[in-house]
Amino acid sequence: MRPVLAITAVELRRFLRDRSNIFFVFIFPLVLVLVIGSQFGGGGSPGRVVLVGEGSDLRTAVVTALEDDGVAVALAAADDALEQVARGRADVVVQLERADADAFAAGGDVTLDVVASSQAGAPATVERVRTAVQAVTVQQGQLAALTAAGADEAAAQSALGRVAGALDEPRLEVVDVDEVAQELSGLGQFDVGAASQVLLFVFLISLAGSTTLIQARRYGVVGRTLTAPVSTTQLLAGQALGRFVIALFQGAYIMAATALLFGVDWGNLWLSAVVLAAFAAAAAGAAMLLGSLLDNENAAVGAGIGLGLVLAALGGGMLPLELFPDSLRGVSLATPHAWAYEAFAEIQRHDGTLADVAPQLAVLLAMAVALLGIGSWALRRSLSRAM
Amino acid sequence: MEQLWTMTVSDLRQRVRDRSVIIFAVVVPLALMVVFNLVFGGTEELELEPVTVAAAVPDDDELGRVVVAALGEVGAPEVTVQDVDAAEVRGLAEAGTVQLGIVVPEGFSEALARGEGPVLQLVEGDDAGIETDILVAVVQGVLDQLAAGTAAAAAAGELGLTHEQVATVARQAATAGPAVTLAEGEASDEQLSGGATLVAGQAGLFLLFTVGFGVLSLVAEREQGTLARLRSMPMRPGLVVAAKALVGFVLGVVATTVLLVAGSLMFGVNFGAPLAVGVLVVCAVTAATSLMLVVARLARTAEQANIVQSILAIALGTAAGAFFPLTATGVVGQLLDLNPVAAFIRGLGITSGGGGLGDIGVPVAYMLGFAVVVVALSRLLPDRGREL
Repeated sequence: MRPVLAITAVELRRFLRDRSNIFFVFIFPLVLVLVIGSQFGGGGSPGRVVLVGEGSDLRTAVVTALEDDGVAVALAAADDALEQVARGRADVVVQLERADADAFAAGGDVTLDVVASSQAGAPATVERVRTAVQAVTVQQGQLAALTAAGADEAAAQSALGRVAGALDEPRLEVVDVDEVAQELSGLGQFDVGAASQVLLFVFLISLAGSTTLIQARRYGVVGRTLTAPVSTTQLLAGQALGRFVIALFQGAYIMAATALLFGVDWGNLWLSAVVLAAFAAAAAGAAMLLGSLLDNENAAVGAGIGLGLVLAALGGGMLPLELFPDSLRGVSLATPHAWAYEAFAEIQRHDGTLADVAPQLAVLLAMAVALLGIGSWALRRSLSRAM
Repeated sequence: MEQLWTMTVSDLRQRVRDRSVIIFAVVVPLALMVVFNLVFGGTEELELEPVTVAAAVPDDDELGRVVVAALGEVGAPEVTVQDVDAAEVRGLAEAGTVQLGIVVPEGFSEALARGEGPVLQLVEGDDAGIETDILVAVVQGVLDQLAAGTAAAAAAGELGLTHEQVATVARQAATAGPAVTLAEGEASDEQLSGGATLVAGQAGLFLLFTVGFGVLSLVAEREQGTLARLRSMPMRPGLVVAAKALVGFVLGVVATTVLLVAGSLMFGVNFGAPLAVGVLVVCAVTAATSLMLVVARLARTAEQANIVQSILAIALGTAAGAFFPLTATGVVGQLLDLNPVAAFIRGLGITSGGGGLGDIGVPVAYMLGFAVVVVALSRLLPDRGREL
């Protein structure tokens, strides 16, 4: 067993000493969790509106009404605002010209120019703007109706002020029974992103790291190891364990760091760790296979990064599986990522127990055994190949 | 000139024989485009689909009817209203038979008139999308108007107006004021469609790897000792760097063109006028090549060069929205604009929207400006590999 552990220790030491890993293993995954969580997590804002125009009562009233509705409002010059909309950085531009503000102050009709972007959410934001500008004129409408009925304006104003506090306004209660919305509701801002990044990086780093296996063969490290009292089986076991420890290390690091820094809830930690271990074993097998099939380090890096990203995209490492079209959901089951995603989802969102994630764990373990088996066979064969 | 040509051709031949260039420059980005398109392609639909609303309104509830009638008048999306029992609404929404359910409680009108804050329930169904978001905003608008009428009527009561006058005030409160209407104009569209963004993003990101294969072989030659031999030849030392830069440039232009053409054919995307797109490609490749000159000076070994190059490529690509769109405004937005990959994607947005050579001035200026600044920087930086 000692030679196996020695080879494993060497692999882990090489991994930790590689300075590129400072960025790709330790910094980049957390940056992605942060960026994705802040961009997409927590439901986001129900719209982004840019207002154009000098300060006026009308502008203040529109901004207040929009912000009360939860819409993000920014002020900008006309050209700037139109560019933001054209580039999809804002949903709607509302132009409040001087004449509009004056007409509003004088109690006249106002027509506001709005420009919506071609983004999917823009029509809903236009509707929110419509509701907000309607609300702006409500008080003037109330006053006008009361004075038209013969009331004195000052008395009407104070009467409106008195009743405002005494009446409860009708409320809207919106329930979303959409399966996807329910599945993803109640999750922390960074929870989905963190689980996805674990899947993405554990596999990506493992596959890209398969170059060390090629280097070990090229520089004769493998040959020299075998001249020591170490059997081929021990060498293969050491390499497999080395890759497994690296994958496990990467996953555990992201889980621990996201839990501490972003408060990500990983559910039952022991169970999550078991899922991670099964997934890491599959990643180790895939890395061994790649490092044995290819003899060129640069090609292995390219293929590793390409495969790592493609498999992650297909397996829920970039977009939640719940949002996949049905046909693609079937394809995703060919990746270990999808099984691990479902297991993490069960543990994180539904307090899943070992029995609940047993099917996913079984598939992951089967994949890991198959990949490690084929990887070892390919590595054994590659040892006799000239490079 | 002949020396430059010989070195460039020789290097290009070596790079093409090395499978890794083809894997990195063409195979991986194309594979990513296909998969990303499969995965993300279905999530972006701009057409508003017709919506069916299940409405449960108590028989004699006048204001409840007003709310539901307002939904029927919405033009976009097209709305069909089905009258159902309150108990059925949730089931229909869950089954996806209707996209939105609305439940008006018993005594809604009276509770509203008395200012008791009745609660109207909306149920967004399975498959609900942007259309139901619009309808929710419409219902909110109608409720606001009804509330305004109630408040005005209450004020009228306080002021001692007659019963008829109170009723008139309640009706008119929402409409008596100045009308603020919206006139919808059209934005000049500088956005790429979902598929085109994927193609442009991946082409821009992998461009940074592709040009690296040319320029960074300088570092590899230094390590192998062949650079010293090249320098011993009777030619200006700058020619070696120029040949490497030229190799990166040629590889970059070829790979990016292949990716854009293949991407357009595969996903039915049109990037617009070929000449303008060509200018954008050349500017983007120039900017990317200039960046590699900095990397070649900073890195002592080929391994270090690969690391720095990968970090820069991934960071700039991600910041430019190659993987997912980033929405940023203000200073952050302006900083993101300085990124040559972002400028490239933005330029393609302009050309695909029908813009020609005259319209892509800003992104071209960003990319060329980036190249000038970075080349100047590469002259100032110490050459860390020289002592090897």
